[in-house]
Amino acid sequence: MSSVQEINTSLKSLIQEFKHVLDQASSLHDLEEARVAFLGRKGRLARIMSRLPELAPEERPQAGKTANEVKTDLGRLLEIRKEELEKQLASHGDKAFDPTLPGRTPDFGSVHPVTRVIRDISNIFVGLGFEIVTGPEVETDFYNFEALNLPPGHPARDMQDTLYISETLVLRTHTSPLQIRTMEKRRPPLAAIAPGKVYRRDSDLTHTPMFHQIEGFLVDTHVSMADLRGTLTAFAQRIFDSEVKVRFRPSFFPFTEPSAEVDISCVMCQGRGRNVDGTTCRVCKETGWVEVLGCGMIDPEVFLQVGYDPEEYTGFAFGLGVERVAMLKYGINDLRMFFENDIKFLNQFA
Amino acid sequence: MLLSLSWLREFTPYKGSIDELAHRLTMVGLEVEEIVRPFAHLAPMVVGRVVEKKQHPGADKLSLCRVDAGTGENLSIVCGAPNVNTGQNVAVALEGTELPGGQVIKKTRIRGETSQGMICSEAELELGQDSSQIMVLDDALVPGTGLCTALDLEEFVLDIGVTPNRPDCLSVMGLAREVAALFDLPLHKPDLNLQEDRTRRCQDEVQIVIDDPAGCPLYQARIISGCSIKPSPGWMRYRLMSVGVRPINNIVDITNYIMLEQGQPLHAFDRDLLQGDTIRVDRSRPGLMFTTLDEQERELNDRDLLIWDREKPVALAGVMGGANTEINDHSTEVVLECAVFNPLNIRQTARRLGLHSESSFRFERGVDQVNSPFALDRAAQLMSELGLGRVFQGVSREDPRPCKPVRISFRRERANSLLALDVDQEYCGRVLTSLGCEVGEEGGAMQVTVPSYRPDITREVDLIEEIGRIYGLDKTPEHLPKVQKSLHEKTLDNEYRFLEDIKQWARGLGLQEVINYSFVGMAELDLLEVPLEGRVKVFNPLSEEQDVMRTHLLPGLLNTLKHNLGQGNTRLKLFEAARSFEQDSSSETGGRENNRLALLLYGRRYRGHWPHPEDDADFYDLKGLVENLLGSFGGFEGRFVLHKKHPYLDPAVECLCLEKSLGMLGRVAPDKARSYKARKDIWYCDLDLDLLQSLGSLSRPQFQQLPRFPVVKRDMTIVSPLELGYEQLHQVLQDAGVDILEDISLVDVYLPPEKQEKKLTLRLTYRHQERTLKDSEVDKEQQKLADLLLKKLPVGFA
Repeated sequence: MSSVQEINTSLKSLIQEFKHVLDQASSLHDLEEARVAFLGRKGRLARIMSRLPELAPEERPQAGKTANEVKTDLGRLLEIRKEELEKQLASHGDKAFDPTLPGRTPDFGSVHPVTRVIRDISNIFVGLGFEIVTGPEVETDFYNFEALNLPPGHPARDMQDTLYISETLVLRTHTSPLQIRTMEKRRPPLAAIAPGKVYRRDSDLTHTPMFHQIEGFLVDTHVSMADLRGTLTAFAQRIFDSEVKVRFRPSFFPFTEPSAEVDISCVMCQGRGRNVDGTTCRVCKETGWVEVLGCGMIDPEVFLQVGYDPEEYTGFAFGLGVERVAMLKYGINDLRMFFENDIKFLNQFA
Repeated sequence: MLLSLSWLREFTPYKGSIDELAHRLTMVGLEVEEIVRPFAHLAPMVVGRVVEKKQHPGADKLSLCRVDAGTGENLSIVCGAPNVNTGQNVAVALEGTELPGGQVIKKTRIRGETSQGMICSEAELELGQDSSQIMVLDDALVPGTGLCTALDLEEFVLDIGVTPNRPDCLSVMGLAREVAALFDLPLHKPDLNLQEDRTRRCQDEVQIVIDDPAGCPLYQARIISGCSIKPSPGWMRYRLMSVGVRPINNIVDITNYIMLEQGQPLHAFDRDLLQGDTIRVDRSRPGLMFTTLDEQERELNDRDLLIWDREKPVALAGVMGGANTEINDHSTEVVLECAVFNPLNIRQTARRLGLHSESSFRFERGVDQVNSPFALDRAAQLMSELGLGRVFQGVSREDPRPCKPVRISFRRERANSLLALDVDQEYCGRVLTSLGCEVGEEGGAMQVTVPSYRPDITREVDLIEEIGRIYGLDKTPEHLPKVQKSLHEKTLDNEYRFLEDIKQWARGLGLQEVINYSFVGMAELDLLEVPLEGRVKVFNPLSEEQDVMRTHLLPGLLNTLKHNLGQGNTRLKLFEAARSFEQDSSSETGGRENNRLALLLYGRRYRGHWPHPEDDADFYDLKGLVENLLGSFGGFEGRFVLHKKHPYLDPAVECLCLEKSLGMLGRVAPDKARSYKARKDIWYCDLDLDLLQSLGSLSRPQFQQLPRFPVVKRDMTIVSPLELGYEQLHQVLQDAGVDILEDISLVDVYLPPEKQEKKLTLRLTYRHQERTLKDSEVDKEQQKLADLLLKKLPVGFA
């Protein structure tokens, strides 16, 4: 039989011992061990409390109360010491702890700069209310040329050297077929962009046989050149820099009339034609301007191809080369790097 | 098109700066790509007068000259040319001057005599071929004058990118017309004052027969007799050279000169080599062999247009003359052809034969039929003026299809609405008139007659473009459009968005995106032993390495791997989302394009520094990625089935999602990997993204009540034969019908050395949805599961 005194003594010495153990503890791990040893399910306190039933019934409530008080005390002591230790650790630290060692950093992934630029451009146009459409890369002569007012034998077909699959199938030379495909499926109002791969039979320092384009178009009643100019100026200033100057130069595309090419003030030399060190700017060849895209008001012939009345509807279309934008935006000076996929190159776009 | 500024000024008195001209042309759609100074290299050369010529005392073939080059004192120059003489004006390169060939002139001693410069030949100055003698200049020149000034060499040439719709700007005359309109200047057409030999009539000597009027709407010829073939005078040679045309002889040079000036290609035949007195324009016969001026024998077909004499073809119409009637040093009588051919016809022939000439370039785009007679007369006049020979009276001409003027009615309101302008009728009339249009009125509407040299203007919208072009597209207003669309209409396409999500997923997991060409070489697909049938071949590939569309993404990624290994990048975690291409006759485009996702792991699993071990990535890294993909894009758990045989993977594991095959994963067969210089295992998978997208679109999250009672976990270590798949264990446990079994997870796999068995430790998680579980009931279920395993599978317990 245990007596109340015995239990009380045990409890008191338990507090003393616990204080001692806590003082000795130098880490949170030590504290946790102490907690288990004293306060755990099979710890010292639990063992003492397991003797309570041995007391006389009238002694039990008082002893129980004392035991609970001790339990609370122990808990409090633990908390106090824990706070103390934490503070200590925070100020002095574990000697072995070296925050300058490398962390367990997961690998950096990256998307290809082409993907990155397409995403940036798409975000701008989606923000303006455009949809994103896609289509086949092997395209019929009809969609790639004829429906775009490029009948067989048209000299403008020479503007794009074509890779053929058969007499009637080509690797699309531009993303413009998506204009036709989309207009065929839907009625105006329409506003969409079409990013994707395109192909030309051309390979040298400044051409790769595959590259990426984004086509964009908007068709509605009363669309004018002002809409086109506003859209593309806003676009150029968003994708490059809000200070960039934009100019529209008349040009020729069979599927737009009037047609224009859009130049921006050179992003490398800020349109000065010369670099800061006085050398001539190679990017704009001293002109201060670089061409970034082609555009125009959709040609009435194109509307007739898809059964729209050109008197009722007007629209604009534009097409830009993604690699070109990426080169200007990131200062990449060699087109071929895009398709060599050297990870030292790709890493730069994480 | 190279435009010489002085040539331009013969037709319109442009006085402004070259930069202003270039800018203005660029801004009306005639992009000046470069301002060239064709004779800049001759700028330091000066005129010198030979005031004294003596025999060089130490060399028979050398002369010792004293030359006044305007430097103040006479220079001593040693010269080896036989024609040097006292009193001549010559071209002198002074000390310090760099010759076009790169040689720098220094003061030297030649056989004991000082030489303070060099008297140059045409060849040394790159002004001609003659290197046998020095160039002798006009006596009237003042010594010290710059050579460029003395020879009146062109200072500026504009390199203009002329778009295919503007054939009129492929001539100096056409560009002068444009410049005159832009700067509001007068335009002077050259005066015609042709002296003909009235004793002979051209029509009596040569008759024209056109058998293919659609192919040749106009054919004209003149005869020039008594010619002597020699080099053209300097001014013409230099002018041709300034625009990149090599001078040949006086006849050919004039044909080129007129082509450049008037945009009308001409051709000269040696009349003595023509048989009969009829020139016939007709199609070729299929299989006919014909040798063109460039000495190439070419096989023709019945769509090629030829010029024939009585017996034989003598020119490939509009493309190139024949070798059999070419002007040569002995030619005396010339038949000068000036014709217009059908653009389509010329283009077809030029393209098929790969024979692109300045002539075909212009005919393909359209030559001004109305101006053609003028061009012929102007050429004849030049020949006569330069004393080449006598021009017979008249022209032999057939014009079965005279040019009909195009008339268009024009609405100013339409122009204003399309261009967002507010210009008046008067402005439009003025612009169009300045461009050569005739503007009239009919029933209140503006009627515009388009000049014959503008074949690009056929519709109202083309006139509107002209208004915009001259007004300046850059000056028109701008604003953001109101984009209208219906929210009821289903979005057109979500392929892009899905691929974008996939790319972001992969990037987040530390993979790097690569983009490879869609085409590879047949040999590369063959190497992978993938099926031959179904491949989509490129009809006119750039090279053998790019002659077929990828049926599988792997070759592209293997090339990326090879390139990176070559660059010392030995740890790769790559992905590519791209289309594979396969023939499919049911498709409108003849093929099926399938979005695929390829993942490739090579080399170490971690970057290799502390605290990670240096192990290489293995199958389970790859599988983990695939499982993560399936979980992320539809909450799927895939099923993975080992295949015995696969063309390029070993092992090859098929990934099934809702029992549909999503693709394969595994290790690239080592023999194939070695072809791409890989020394370690390449872990690779190729999955169908279109399928994953469509499966994923069906799955939709469904909320479930969160559990409120705690779990109990129990481990069990099973000893199993090596060949027993984990999936089977898992399946038995899952199918056991133990309701409170919430999760089974594998916590350890141990392969005891030298024993044909494996030990798998599983952690089973139990939970009851409505109450806290008792140890005893969990023990009971755990035992039940263990017994079931023993009964169903050849396993034991550790």
